[in-house]
Amino acid sequence: MNGILASIIFLISLWLIFSEKLNRTITSMIGAALMTGVGLILGFFNEEEALRSIDFNTLGLLMGMMILVAMLEPTGFFEFLAVWAGRISRGHPVRLLIMLGTITTIFSMFLDNVTTVVLIAPVTILICEILGINPVPYLMAEALLSDTGGVATLVGDPPNVLIASAAGFSFNDFLTHSLPVVLVAWLTALGLLRFLFRKELSIKPPNMEAVLKLEPAEALDDWKTARRVLIVLGLAILTFFMEEWLGISPAFVALSAASIAMVWTRPNIQETLKRIDWSVLVFFGALFVMVGGLEAAGVLNMFVDGLKKLNTIPPVLLGVIMIWLVASLSAFVDNVPITIALIPVLQGLGASGMNTDPLWWALVFGAGFGGNATIIGSTANIVVASLSERTRTPITSALWNKRGLPVMLATCTVASILYAVFYPFFA
Amino acid sequence: MIIRDYMKRNVHSISEHATIREAAAKLVEYHIGLLPVVDQASKLIGVVGLRDLLTLELPDFFELLPELDFVHDFGAVETTRPGIEQLNQPVVRLMHPATFVRETDGLLKGYALMLKHQLHDLPVVGESGKLVGIASRVDIGTAILATWKYIGSESP
Repeated sequence: MNGILASIIFLISLWLIFSEKLNRTITSMIGAALMTGVGLILGFFNEEEALRSIDFNTLGLLMGMMILVAMLEPTGFFEFLAVWAGRISRGHPVRLLIMLGTITTIFSMFLDNVTTVVLIAPVTILICEILGINPVPYLMAEALLSDTGGVATLVGDPPNVLIASAAGFSFNDFLTHSLPVVLVAWLTALGLLRFLFRKELSIKPPNMEAVLKLEPAEALDDWKTARRVLIVLGLAILTFFMEEWLGISPAFVALSAASIAMVWTRPNIQETLKRIDWSVLVFFGALFVMVGGLEAAGVLNMFVDGLKKLNTIPPVLLGVIMIWLVASLSAFVDNVPITIALIPVLQGLGASGMNTDPLWWALVFGAGFGGNATIIGSTANIVVASLSERTRTPITSALWNKRGLPVMLATCTVASILYAVFYPFFA
Repeated sequence: MIIRDYMKRNVHSISEHATIREAAAKLVEYHIGLLPVVDQASKLIGVVGLRDLLTLELPDFFELLPELDFVHDFGAVETTRPGIEQLNQPVVRLMHPATFVRETDGLLKGYALMLKHQLHDLPVVGESGKLVGIASRVDIGTAILATWKYIGSESP
């Protein structure tokens, strides 16, 4: 009875989120309230347990990193990077694609890739316009490559933060397990983009000298603040490497870094906090409460017997199925709710005595690479597409299916092969 | 002190059925910044100005970037021109609702409207909404300032 009610609340909330009938943050809040209320009445869940089920490690890490980005955003640092990339490329299309794609990827591996893309894409449009070429290949490459690259690190993508916390993976676990796969997948994606856009990239820009007159330094409005935030960010990343050795959590590192950077740069706190995506943090927190209720109602134990049958499938095959299943779902809906919905399932499997580590990695790859498939697959895709709608060459959904879907299929194939070949390493 | 006495009666306007190309040609021919758009009964239905037409030339990045100081050479953008299909579109596509005054309105009201909406020219309509003239900021402004010379002298 408890389990059924809790499941109904959870499933209806998921349906509302996936169908976008109600804003996901609002849905998760009412879902969490209902779960706690019903739990109180039936006695399977209470306020204390609800609070305890919130993973403050995830929230703290996200918030700390968001504050750092919020401080970096108004300095013009991202614009500087894009302008610099344009100059270095000397207006050669392929070189420009590689430069912009690489820079967007590197920064989105450590910072929120939506912010990175939002700030770099307008400059990309500028560079393409003064060169006299179509910006579409570059914009799509930025979204696709940054989404692919984000899979490599614990802080690169919100699903990774969730998975790390649920599975107990450290920053270095991601560097040893995910980074190598992403490296191969990323290079494959870049090569494929070079091939898919070969026609656009073979046109010699009519005005190559114009990019040489761009002044990166003039795009950087506040180098003093940017330098300080970058130094703190660099130290934070170094500390992430030593996280296990020091015995501290990534949330502690991120929040300390944010605090130190704020003391050093003294930003306008109101303005800085306004740039933080609070809805994401509230959404995560409320979803944790719902999953906590589900757990407390004993739903996971109900799963376990059914899930035990999965043991008969060869584990490698199970992992590959997981990659493709999650990737197909992520192509159409946000990968955060998918990840949160699967966390209890995988934890249930773990409780049944199965080694779930390989499945967690499969979830990382599926959730990360799946979003590349469609124009709505990831937030970066949506952002790039909506920016391009304000230009003379909008990116259409059909075009994304022709250029993005092959990238998704290729990266998932690469991930599946590496996963299967090196399976013992993931186990 | 009403608008009618200070406006230009010889007003260049354009028909609602005209194309963007025709509107551009008129602005060039008379070296003006604003064209009232009228229907067959010469009723004012909107205005189209230099600014509206020139959006066709502005690069896409203009709207997307907060500042442009680091761009020293507009490169290819400098020589891109609107397409022939764009120029053959009806002018009403770029038209926007007119801020106007009636010919019996006071000068200061006209001046205040221009200031509020940052306009340089103000179409003037008659009783039935017919376009009867146009007043520039200088027409109205100097007309008001001209009254200052009587201040301090014996009032008539």
